[in-house]
Amino acid sequence: MGYVIGVDIGGTFTDCVVIDDAGRVTIGKASSTPPDFQTGFVESLRVVAQRLGLTLDRLIAATKGVYHGCTVGTNALVENRTAKVGLLTTRGHRDVLFGMQGGARLVGLPPETIAHVAAHYKPEPLVPKTMVGEIDERVAFDGKVLVELDEEGCRAEIRRLHAAGAEAFAVSLLWAVANPAHERRVRELIEECVPGMFVSVSSEVIARNGEYERTVATVINSLTGPAMTDYLSALEADLKKIGYHDTLNIMTCTGGLIDSASARALPVLTIGSGPVAGLIGAGALSQVVGKGGKGRGAAVITGDMGGTTFDVGVIRDGEPLHRSTTRHGMYEYFVPTLDVRSVGSGGGSIIHFDEEMRTLRVGPRSAGARPGPVAFGRGGVEPTVTDANLVLGCLNPDFFLGGAIKLDLAGARAALARVGAPLGFSAEEAAAAALRIVDNQMADAIRLASVQQGYDPRDFSLYAYGGAGPVHAMALARELGIKEVIMPLSDLAAGWSAFGIASSDAVVVEEFPHLLEYPFDPEALNRGWSMLEEAAARRMAVQGIGRDQIIWERTADIRYTMQINEVPVRAPNGTYGKEQADELVARFESDYERLYGQGSGYAAAGITMTAQRVLARANVSDFTLAPKVDPAKGAPRLKGHRDVIWYEHGVKPEKTPIYDGDGFGAGGAVTGPAIVEFGVTTLVLRHGQKASVDDFGSVTITA
Amino acid sequence: MTTQLADADFAKTDGVSPGPTAREGVDPAFWDGRIHSYRPAHDWLGRVASKLELDSDAVAELDPITFEVIRNRLWTINLAHGETLTRISGSPVFQALDFNMCIMTERGEIAMNAPYLQCLVAGAPLAIRFIMEKFSADPGIEDGDIFLATDPWIGAVHQMDVLIASPVFIDGRLFAWVTNAGHQYDRGGITPGGWPQNAPDVYSDPTIFRPFKIVERGVVRRDLEEMYLRQSRVPDLLALDLRAQIAGCRFAVQQMRELCDQFGPDVVKATMRRVLDNAQLSMQDKLRRIPDGRWSEVRYFDELMPGHRDTYRMQVNITKEGDRIIIDNEGTDRQVSGPLNFVYAAFSGQFLGVVAVTMLYEQMFSIGGAERQIDFCPTPGLLTCADYPAAVSGGVQNVVIHTNAFMNVIARMLACDPELKSDVLASGAGFPLLVLAGSDDRGNYFGTGLMDAVSTGSGGRSTRDGVDTGGATWSPLMKMINVEDTEQFYPILYLYRQELEDSGGAGRYRGGVGMKFAFTPYRAREISAITNTGGQIASTFSAMGLFGGLPSPTCHNIVRKGTNLTEMFAARRMPAAIAELSSTQDILLRGKSNGTPLEPGDVMESTFCGGGGYGDPLLREAEMVARDVLLGYVSVDVARDVYGTVLRADGAPDVAATRSLRSAIRAERSRWRPAGATSDCERRPNGFTRATGAPPASVHEYIVARDEGDQRVLACAHCSHVLSDYAGNYKEGLLEHSGPVTQIPGVKDPVVFLDEEMRFRRYCCPGCQTLMTMDVVRADEPVLCDMRLTEPGAA
Repeated sequence: MGYVIGVDIGGTFTDCVVIDDAGRVTIGKASSTPPDFQTGFVESLRVVAQRLGLTLDRLIAATKGVYHGCTVGTNALVENRTAKVGLLTTRGHRDVLFGMQGGARLVGLPPETIAHVAAHYKPEPLVPKTMVGEIDERVAFDGKVLVELDEEGCRAEIRRLHAAGAEAFAVSLLWAVANPAHERRVRELIEECVPGMFVSVSSEVIARNGEYERTVATVINSLTGPAMTDYLSALEADLKKIGYHDTLNIMTCTGGLIDSASARALPVLTIGSGPVAGLIGAGALSQVVGKGGKGRGAAVITGDMGGTTFDVGVIRDGEPLHRSTTRHGMYEYFVPTLDVRSVGSGGGSIIHFDEEMRTLRVGPRSAGARPGPVAFGRGGVEPTVTDANLVLGCLNPDFFLGGAIKLDLAGARAALARVGAPLGFSAEEAAAAALRIVDNQMADAIRLASVQQGYDPRDFSLYAYGGAGPVHAMALARELGIKEVIMPLSDLAAGWSAFGIASSDAVVVEEFPHLLEYPFDPEALNRGWSMLEEAAARRMAVQGIGRDQIIWERTADIRYTMQINEVPVRAPNGTYGKEQADELVARFESDYERLYGQGSGYAAAGITMTAQRVLARANVSDFTLAPKVDPAKGAPRLKGHRDVIWYEHGVKPEKTPIYDGDGFGAGGAVTGPAIVEFGVTTLVLRHGQKASVDDFGSVTITA
Repeated sequence: MTTQLADADFAKTDGVSPGPTAREGVDPAFWDGRIHSYRPAHDWLGRVASKLELDSDAVAELDPITFEVIRNRLWTINLAHGETLTRISGSPVFQALDFNMCIMTERGEIAMNAPYLQCLVAGAPLAIRFIMEKFSADPGIEDGDIFLATDPWIGAVHQMDVLIASPVFIDGRLFAWVTNAGHQYDRGGITPGGWPQNAPDVYSDPTIFRPFKIVERGVVRRDLEEMYLRQSRVPDLLALDLRAQIAGCRFAVQQMRELCDQFGPDVVKATMRRVLDNAQLSMQDKLRRIPDGRWSEVRYFDELMPGHRDTYRMQVNITKEGDRIIIDNEGTDRQVSGPLNFVYAAFSGQFLGVVAVTMLYEQMFSIGGAERQIDFCPTPGLLTCADYPAAVSGGVQNVVIHTNAFMNVIARMLACDPELKSDVLASGAGFPLLVLAGSDDRGNYFGTGLMDAVSTGSGGRSTRDGVDTGGATWSPLMKMINVEDTEQFYPILYLYRQELEDSGGAGRYRGGVGMKFAFTPYRAREISAITNTGGQIASTFSAMGLFGGLPSPTCHNIVRKGTNLTEMFAARRMPAAIAELSSTQDILLRGKSNGTPLEPGDVMESTFCGGGGYGDPLLREAEMVARDVLLGYVSVDVARDVYGTVLRADGAPDVAATRSLRSAIRAERSRWRPAGATSDCERRPNGFTRATGAPPASVHEYIVARDEGDQRVLACAHCSHVLSDYAGNYKEGLLEHSGPVTQIPGVKDPVVFLDEEMRFRRYCCPGCQTLMTMDVVRADEPVLCDMRLTEPGAA
C-alpha cells in the first residue's frame, strides 16, 4: 500500500493530487515550467509533501504509483514545435496525407465556415511533400504480397530524407494491417541506415484499415515522439534523483494508464488525455457518491467549461462512450479514445454583433488567456462570456479566482454596450442575451453527444467542472431537463484532471481487422481473441500487471454486409461456441435498433464482422475515497447580497444572496437564486435549485 | 446546331414555346408535373384540401436571442439527421454525402437546409407543394405518414435522388415538413448504376415513382417497399438506404416535436419565418450593391449517346434588376433523344445551391427566403429544363457543368462590388463518374460508382489559389474514400492515386488541382467500366477560369490492355504512371461509354481535374510558380509557357529571364487581332451612355466603369485604356486570339471525340495586354457577351 500520486501539467499550473491509504485527498499546485515541465512536476510533489507534513523523500518512499497526465505531445502539436518527419509510403500513394478526405476535413466546423467556399483552405501539411518518400512494394487487401519490398530503393529514400533533415520517421504502407512484414522490414532498414531514429509504423500505431486516418495517426506519433522521449527521459531521471524507481504511468485518451516506455513509443495516445482524465474522474466519483447511479447503472454527462472550449463526455451503463477517430484540427485520425467532444464555447468566447443576421453571436473565436476578457484588463477589447457573467452579477469583481484577478466591471460593461448597441441593447441586455446563446450552444453540444447517440439527457446526471462549468451548468440542466448536477469535490475542482488520472486504471487496447461473414466461425473468433489477449497481456506485463489482475472487455465491430459503418458490439468473454457467436449477432441487432430505431435493421443483407478488439484493464491505484468529516462546516457563510440579473426572468436585477463556498460542508444547503463563491469557481444557482454538500465534499444540485 | 428530334419526343408537348414566367405568374395548367415540370402557382395553397389543417401561428414578437437559439437547434437537427443517414446506409454514395436534408415550414418553404449536396435544395419545396396540392384530399396527409418520390418532373434532380418527406403535426395540425433526398445506387434502368448514357428517353432510365406513402401512420407499407425494391439490381443495398432515409426523417420529426414542446410551436414558427426573411433581406442588400446588368456563360454538352460525335449548346443568363434576379436559359438547344437533359428542379436547385455558398453563406445554407427575390424563367423543352419523356437520369453530370456555369456567372456579377468580390471563386471541374460493375472471384455481384473525383480542386479566388483536392464547392463536405476501403469492397487494386500536375487552371491565382488514379482488376471474375462525363470535360476543358484565368484541362479514362504489370511486380516495381507499362492495346474511353471489360493484367487510368484559374497568369509572383513546380502542382513547361516564369537549375525563379519572357509574351499578345463584333447581344446594341458624374467603380477584376468626357465607359483598370461604352460588350474593345483548344495545357486534340471544331479564344487589353477573359466555343460562335451592364436609368 502507499500513496497514489496524480500529476497533471497545464499551460499555467501543474496540479498534483495525493490519495492516501485511507482515501484522503491532498492537493498541491506549482507553476508550470516550460519548456522543462519536469521541474514543475517535481516542485508540485514538493508542495504536496509539505502539506502532508512530509519530506519529499518520505513521500516518495511511501508512494506506490505516480500517474501522470502529460500535455507535451498536445502542446507540441498545437504550438507547431514538432520534429521534422520523413514519411515513407507505398509508391503511388505519396499524397495520402495531402488529400485530407477532400471536403470531409471540414466536418464539424461552424456552418458559416462550411458554406463560405471562397474562404476554404487546407492547413499546412503535417509533413511537407518533399519529405515524403515512396517505396516500391505492395500488399493486397487479403495480405498477399504482390510486389516484394525494394530494399535498395527504400534505403535510398531513407538516406534522402535523412539528408533533408528528418528527425523522425513515419512508415505507412497500404494494407500493412493485413500484412505488416514490409513495414517491419522498413523499420529495420531505417535502423540500419540511420540508427537511433524515432520510428513509427502504422500497423503498430493503430491496426485498423483506412490508410488516411492511419497515416495521420502515424505521422502525429512521429511528430510528437522525439519531444515525448526527451521529456519522459528527463522526468524519469529527475524522479530517480528523488528516489522514485517504479513505473511512471502515463494517462491516455483511451481512458487509462500506460507505462512510460509505451508512452514514448505511442505518444499519439497521450494527445487529448486531459479532457478524458476529467471524464474518468467523474466516473470514479460517481461510483463513490452514487450520483448518476452506480456500476452498470451509472449515467453521467460531463461538462468541462474552460477558457476556450466546452468539452462533453458521456458515461452510460457505467462505461464512458468510446469512439474510433478523433481530430487534430482538420486532420482526422484513428485512435481508440473516449468520446469527448469539444465546442468553441468557453469563458473567453467572444461576443459579437453579426451584421448579416442582425443578431448577437458567441464564439467560436476566443480571447483565450491573452488578451483574455475585457475585464482582465490585459488589452482585450471584445467582450467575452466572462465579461457577460460579470456584468450580470454572477461573478464577483473582487473575488475572481479567489481574488487573484481583479475584474474591471466598467470595462466589461462598456464593451457589452458596444456590441449591443446595433440592437438597441443595454450592456445588461447584451450580456443576458449572450449568456442565453452560449448556454444553448452548450446544450446543443450535449444533445449531439447524447440524443444523437440514442440517449435521453434527462436520464443523466451532469458533472460540471472547469473554471466556468459551475457558472453555467445549472442553466444547462434547466435547458436539457437534467434533474441533478454534481460539482465534483468542491475543493478538488482545480486539481480535477489530476484526480481523474489518479483514479484511472491501466488500460491497453489491442485490435485487428478480421473479416468474417455470418454465421461466424467460433474457432476463428477464438483465435482472434487469444491473439489479442496475448498481445495485451504482454503490454500489461511491462507495467508489472499480471494476467490475473486483468479485466477483459471485448468488442467486435459488426455491420450489415453492405454497410460501411460498423457498430462496436460488446462481446462475451470466454471461449466461444456457436451460442456465443450467435449472441454477438443478437447484441448487434439490439444495439442497432437502439441507435437507429425499431425496424431499421436489415438482416437480409447479411451480417459481417470487420474487427475484433480487446481492452485490458487493471485497477492500479486501488483507493477508496474517504468521506470528509469536517464538523466545523455546514451551511455556508452569507457574505452579503448583490444585484444579479437572471436572464430567464428578464434584465431587472434581483437582490441575491452571496455565499462563501469555503465554509460549505456536509449538512448545509442553499436554495437558489443564490451564488456560492469558491476559490476556483463560482456556483450560480438558479431559482428553485437546491445545493447541498455530500460526505465527500461534492456539491449536488437538484433542479 | 440543333438536333433532329424524333416526333415522338414532343408528341405530347406543345414544343418549345416558353411557359408563362414566374413574374407573370406560373400557370398551373402548364407547369403540372406531367409533361412540364411541376411548379407551384401563386395560388397553389388554395388547392390544398381544407381537411388538412395548417398550423401557421407565429408569435409577432421574437427576440433576437430566442431566434438565434432555435436557429442553431434547427441546424443541429439537420446535422444529426445527416449523420443518421450515413451511419445506417451501406452505400458508398451516401458515405460520400450525396444527399441533403431540409426543414420546411407548413407551406414548404425551406427554413433550414443542410451542408451537403446543394443542388437538391429546390426539389423538396417542389415535391412538398405538389403533395399538398394534389394529395391532401386523397389519400390525405396524416401524422406519421412518410412520402417517397423520385419523379424528376416533380422535384427530383434525377430519378436516383430519392426524396423522403415527412409532415410534422402538432396537435393535429400540419406544422412543418422534414425531408431528405439521397442518391440511391441502382434503381433499375438499362445500365447498372442509374446513369444510363444510352437511354433515348425516360423509359430506359431508372424507374419513376410519383409521390406515395411508403410509411402510413407510422407503419412501413411492406407491399409498397417490395414493389420499390424490385426495380433494383441490388435490392438489399437499396433497402438499407431506404431504411436510413426513413430513420433520418423519423429522427428529425421527433426532434421538431421536442423543440415545439420546449419553446412553443408559435415561437419555433416565428423563428422559421425570420430565417426566411433574413435570407431575403440579405439577398436584397447584396443585390442592391451590384450595378444592373446581364451576365451569361455558354457551355456545350458532348455526345448524345455513347460514341456520338456531336455537341449541344447551353447557356445560362442572369439579369439583375435592382434587388431582383431573373434566371433564364435563352441560347440553349432543344432537349434531345438522349440523356443530356435535366429538369427544372435541377435547373433551379443549382442556382439556389450556388447562391447558398457564394452570396448567402452567412445563412447556414438556409436560403429559402432568397428564392423570393429570384424569378426562374427557363424555357421548357430545352436541354436545361426538359419536358417528359426526355431521358434525364444520366444528365446529372451535365447538372454539375451547369452548376459550374452558374458559379462563374455569379462570380462575374459579385465582382462588381469590391467587398463581395472577396466571395468570388472560379468554378470547379465537371465530375467524371466511373461506374464499375461485375463480380469478384467469390462470385459476389457488385456495382459501384467510384467517388474519388469528389476531391476535385476548387477554382482560383480573388486573393488566393483554389484548394488543391479540397472537394467540390457544390457539396462542401463530400468525403474522399480510402483506397483500402474501396479495395476491401470491390475487386480492384489501385496502382496509384496522386495529385495531378497542371490539372488546375493557370491564373494569377491558380485553380486547385485534381488527381489521377490507376487500378487493375484483383481477384475479380469480371469487371466492366462505364464512363459518365458531363459537358466537354473529356474533349475541351473541365472548369472555366475567370478574368483571364485559364480553364483546367480535360479528364481522361484510358484502358491499357494486356500490360506487363505482372512482370513489373515480379521485378519489385510499382508503376507510378501508366507510361511505365507496356501493353498490347490502349483504349482511350469516350466521355460516355457502356461496359468496357477489364481483364487480368489490364490497367485503367482515370483523371479528374480541379478548378479554373483567376486572373492573368503573367501576374502571378514567380516565387509562387517556383513553389508550385517544386511541389508538383505545375510543370516546368507550363511555368514557362503560361506563367512566363523561368526557373534556374536549383528551382528558384530567374528574375531577369522571367521579366524578359513575360515582356515577350505580352509583345506577342499585342499582335493579336481586334475582337470581332458580337451578334448575340441584339437586345441592346452598343450605344452611348451619358456620363453620370459618379466616381470610377470596379466592375470586373481588370475593368472600371468611369466617365470619359460626357460618356460613361468601361476601361482597363491597369492602363485606363477605354474598351467600350458602359452598356456595351467590353470584349469588342479587346484583342482576340482564337486558337485550337490544345493551347490549354494538358488538352489533346478533341477531334478524336468530336466532329465540331472547338476554339480557345483569349482576350487581352490592347493597352497593357492583360488577359481579361477567355472562352472555349464552337468555331462558328460570334464573340460571346459575358457581361452587359444596364445603362443607368434605362431599367
